[in-house]
Amino acid sequence: MGGDVVLRVEDLHKSYGKLKVLKGVSFEVRRGETKVIAGPSGVGKSTLLRCINLLTKPDRGRIWLEDVEITRPGVDINKIRQRIGFVFQEFNLFHHLKVIDNVMIGLTKVKKLPKKKAFERAKEALLTVYITEDLWYKYPAQLSGGQRQRVAIARALAMDPVIILYDEPTSALDPQLVGEVLQVMKELARKGVTGLVVTHEIGFALEVADELMFMYDGRIIERGPPKEIVFNPKHEVTKKFFEKVGRLYGERK
Amino acid sequence: MTFWEEFLPALFKGVLTTLEMLAIAAPASVALGILLGTLRVYGGRIASLIATAVVVMFRGFPLLVTLLLLFFGLADLRIYLTPFWAAVLGFILCSGSYQSEYVRGAIRSIDIGQSLAAKAIGMTKLQEVMYIILPQAIRRALPGISNEIIYMIKYSSLAFVVGVQEMFAVGKHFNSIYFRPIEIFLTLAAIYLVMTTAATIFFKWLEYKLRIPGIEMGV
Repeated sequence: MGGDVVLRVEDLHKSYGKLKVLKGVSFEVRRGETKVIAGPSGVGKSTLLRCINLLTKPDRGRIWLEDVEITRPGVDINKIRQRIGFVFQEFNLFHHLKVIDNVMIGLTKVKKLPKKKAFERAKEALLTVYITEDLWYKYPAQLSGGQRQRVAIARALAMDPVIILYDEPTSALDPQLVGEVLQVMKELARKGVTGLVVTHEIGFALEVADELMFMYDGRIIERGPPKEIVFNPKHEVTKKFFEKVGRLYGERK
Repeated sequence: MTFWEEFLPALFKGVLTTLEMLAIAAPASVALGILLGTLRVYGGRIASLIATAVVVMFRGFPLLVTLLLLFFGLADLRIYLTPFWAAVLGFILCSGSYQSEYVRGAIRSIDIGQSLAAKAIGMTKLQEVMYIILPQAIRRALPGISNEIIYMIKYSSLAFVVGVQEMFAVGKHFNSIYFRPIEIFLTLAAIYLVMTTAATIFFKWLEYKLRIPGIEMGV
């Protein structure tokens, strides 16, 4: 790859009371890249993602989105968040809105696009994630988990974000529904949609990630090409983790 | 003229006055309830403090006292409300304060993910509240709101204390002349029952109309 850097995280720290969740995390993501963050639960992966779109305020450290330092005081957080897509583990679709409106609302209310344009853009995003017209006028509660997560991806995608952050996007799904979501994510990665993905899906990392970062105890303790990290880890923790996860997820494509 | 020939036209006018008060106070109280409930959760420190003070006051005062304060009390301060508007204002403040609690509870019951997702697409706090939180919270508050509106229909009879010629005042007046309590008050009771039943049906219909397919709301 090697486009320009679109996300730079420098020495990020975050504590909740006495509990230090992030103890100095630094990395970069270039345009078009997909980077995967893996690691046991409770090591700060979700906190890291939430710090990046400022849903959580980091205590220390700096973050740049393209050439804007978003951790600088006085930055318009809402403007920044429009340009960062976020896909939640629990989907968090707006329950009271139809599928099409879930995708359109950010375009009409936040980006202030005219309805017609917003509709066209939403349509395009939904088709990209294989949500066809028969589902557009249904409510989230009428969809399967896999469909819901794909709509959530479309909602993020429609905003034309600089980068999409995925927070364990398949962890809340029934096993038979994981594949359709991963497939969509892989296609987006191959199309050059920049992504930062927290996931246990090694198959996904091996197939499309440019780099795999392994987090443990608030730090990235190992990083590199996914194959190397998964099959030749240097740290004992990393090795143990991928042995365990490999047994659970390894064979899945 | 027989009793009924005299009573019914007067009662009809009283019913119209009652309906007029309710037509203004009911929607306005819902609006106030939503505003107060929202401010208590999302308002800054000062706004939520003011909203809380309003709720504590008008939920704490007996409505009777509120009405007398608004009509006679304000008049003492040279603020003159007509009986009609003093009553309507009292109903709005009292009912709105109660309703705000249902709205507040409903807002707090909305899962945090909805708020996070709204923020994540770049919504401001106001947009989040207007487009994401309130549409869901108001649906959940509806049964409580409907309860309060039914109360309001019944306690609209208290308007007689400030001299509004609504249906109860008419009934009371006729009873003092003709002393036919059974006919008079049963007639009033029947009319109130029709009104409260109509309100019940209306809110059932509204709940049904606003239901979110796929989510059982107990309609």
